[in-house]
Amino acid sequence: MKRRKKRAVDNAEINMTPMIDVVFQMIIFFVCTADMDRKAFDEKIRLAMSPHGPAEEKKDPRTVTIEVDKKGNIQIFRTPYSFAAMQQTLHKAVAEYGQTVPVVIRGDAETKHADIKRVMDAASGAGLWKIKFAATKEVAGTVKK
Amino acid sequence: MAMRTRRKSETPSGEIPMTPMIDVVFQLLIYFLVTMKPVDVVANLDVFRPSSQEQREQTETPPKMIRIAIYADGFTINDKPVRLEDLEGLIVKLASYDKAQTIMIMCTAQSPHEKLVQVLDLCAGAGLKNLSVVSTN
Repeated sequence: MKRRKKRAVDNAEINMTPMIDVVFQMIIFFVCTADMDRKAFDEKIRLAMSPHGPAEEKKDPRTVTIEVDKKGNIQIFRTPYSFAAMQQTLHKAVAEYGQTVPVVIRGDAETKHADIKRVMDAASGAGLWKIKFAATKEVAGTVKK
Repeated sequence: MAMRTRRKSETPSGEIPMTPMIDVVFQLLIYFLVTMKPVDVVANLDVFRPSSQEQREQTETPPKMIRIAIYADGFTINDKPVRLEDLEGLIVKLASYDKAQTIMIMCTAQSPHEKLVQVLDLCAGAGLKNLSVVSTN
């Protein structure tokens, strides 16, 4: 008699509460991580357009992204760096991970090449010959042709 | 029999009321949809920098090399001035001979970064892989 009663309750409804808890946790997790990704870069930098360029590949966690704004100021992870401090950071990255560390330069479209060159020279000085430039492949919200 | 009916009526009162929770969830969903800004697709253009040792050896430049120079007010390809619109055709034509050839991009200090990215973009579009960026004054 007891057994039958239990089964009847099981069939009647699924317990929703734990599922809702998990769903909320997931929503909060995704919202937080999506925000973090955006905060890593300066939104004032307007990247140049590159419709033919290869899309960003799966990100290497070692990637050093150096941002150069219109005036040539250097930023890494939204922290302003002096030129010497950036050189040190690159040397440290090479010492720690070897010379395969990917370097991405996010330069504003209006930045003078001289300022980009400084950063590139610092990277070559640290032994990093391979450099990537970040550019906008596709503006969000536009329809692909 | 009387027991049965009582048990049945007990279950709905024990349940959590779902309607207000669903309302709240929809509100949250709408809030996040409205505040969400879509992210642009980012391209990464690879280039090589000549190392300081290589630079010394490069006094005798190999003949099979395309030189593209970028100035603040225009471009030249193999020392001939071209407009950006014509550059695309030229790069595609040159790329059709050999995709592995080295493209040397000389960029003057005063030219905006956008022009360099434009040239790199055209090279990437033509399938050229060996791109070297050299800075000049």
